[in-house]
Amino acid sequence: MSMLAAQVRADFTAFRRAPSALFFTVGLPVIFLVLFESIFGEQMVPGAAGQVSLATLQVPGFMVMGVVSASFVSLCITMVNRREAGVFKRVRGTPAPAWVLIIGQVVTTLVIGVLMVVVMLIIGRYAYDVRVDMALVPWLVLGVLVGAIAFSCLGMALAAFVPSMESAAPIANLIVLPLYFISGVFVPVSELPSWLATFASWLPIRPFVEMLSYPYEPGAAVPWAALGVVAAWGVLGLVVASRFFRWTPRRD
Amino acid sequence: MSAPPAIAVSGLVKEYGGRRVIDGLDLQVRTGEVLAFLGRNGAGKTTTTEILEGYRTRDAGEVTVLGEDPARAGARWRARLGIVLQESQPVPTLTVREILRLYAAYFPNPRPVDEVIHLVGLDEKAGERAARLSGGQLRRLDVGVALIGAPDLLFLDEPTTGFDADARRQFWDVIQGLRSTGTTIFLTTHYMDEAQALADRVAILREGRVAALGTPSELQASLGGVEIRFELPAGVARADLPALSVAPRVDGPHVTVSTEHATADLAVLCAWADGRGIDLPSLEVGRPTLEDVFLAIAGDAAPGGTR
Repeated sequence: MSMLAAQVRADFTAFRRAPSALFFTVGLPVIFLVLFESIFGEQMVPGAAGQVSLATLQVPGFMVMGVVSASFVSLCITMVNRREAGVFKRVRGTPAPAWVLIIGQVVTTLVIGVLMVVVMLIIGRYAYDVRVDMALVPWLVLGVLVGAIAFSCLGMALAAFVPSMESAAPIANLIVLPLYFISGVFVPVSELPSWLATFASWLPIRPFVEMLSYPYEPGAAVPWAALGVVAAWGVLGLVVASRFFRWTPRRD
Repeated sequence: MSAPPAIAVSGLVKEYGGRRVIDGLDLQVRTGEVLAFLGRNGAGKTTTTEILEGYRTRDAGEVTVLGEDPARAGARWRARLGIVLQESQPVPTLTVREILRLYAAYFPNPRPVDEVIHLVGLDEKAGERAARLSGGQLRRLDVGVALIGAPDLLFLDEPTTGFDADARRQFWDVIQGLRSTGTTIFLTTHYMDEAQALADRVAILREGRVAALGTPSELQASLGGVEIRFELPAGVARADLPALSVAPRVDGPHVTVSTEHATADLAVLCAWADGRGIDLPSLEVGRPTLEDVFLAIAGDAAPGGTR
């Protein structure tokens, strides 16, 4: 247990000192939220249960962006970097079990994701008067936990197929950016053609947004299906990662 | 009373794509000794080392490291090893102390972090991020990481490649200090002076087998003969040299004559120089160096990789 604590502490310190990870995970979602709200202002849009302000949809949307950036993009980049630099190979030569490295990364990015969600909660509440239904806070916690863990599994799975340090960030971002567009992060899903919205609802980001939107839209249906889809993607990620994950650099 | 060997290998075979990289290697490393493992690129040094470390599997043969088979040994066995890989970089944003503290947490009975920092001479860099260390300092951090678990057996794979002369000397001091504490050290290196300075015994690998094994002076004696070394005087070409019992080796201005007939060859050389009214700069007569032994035994340079 103290081994895991030391790992999380070191991973967290390394994350904190990486300016690009910090910017993309914490800075960018906040900047986007502020920009979108100042451009589109008080617009009302159709939500899951009637008309809501744009901010009501976008606060949870950018929460998802923060969590995905930490758990999927950053985690994938970190795993590839450590593998290719030989860090993992070195650790495999010590008594440390493999799970310490994996759980260490998952816990670290989970903590960062939770911090991001708290930041968004506060900005949403005080800047845009977007409130969470207190009775549904457990849903918010559940959603963040399931989402962060599922995206960590997907990040590990992707890392197995990324060949080099240089390609990790472009590949991971190329995957998530279009998904943000069709998942209600940048654009309300009510603006999308219905086939595209349906398509997005089977991919992992849209259901994750639905899970985090629910506490903001208490009239909506309980998002069990969304929870199921995100969890299923997580399981798929776990299966692929445990089949293809490697500890040693590609050159070995 | 003799302790069991730290490493015992017999009949080790490893193939890559049908090619035998290791071909019946036998080797014993005694507890507490520094063994230098030499060979040309492609002779199988890193492959052998990584089999001993448990990173690679073998195709045949018996391997025992600290009493266990590396292919099956677990965490308790790894706690007794220290490994410095040929290539690896630490997490660049962590400091020396943070990295060592993390690795200390991996081991059941780690050395105190500050003691290790001092041992590898990084006291003044303890709070520096790895990204800001020089190549030599990074390598010493690497050794610190390998020492943090207080290993009984330390693997060093080409630890001083890319060092300047000062950094290499400092590194040797660290290794000599460790040796005096009884740590067994398996040292892979390209540098003969390093093997000469550090090793109790030297194993020379050729075509996947140990072609020679012994103390540096045993190996030097085994080559036999005497070496006459001097520099070509200015204005004298190789072709101008007199006929000797063997053809001299010329490397830039350096001439080496490895001979069984030292007095006769010396007489010829001296008479020739005297007749021309020239001197032989840096003339010396001595035993073959470890490098001569290596060149004689390791064979022609194999092309390609570092496996």
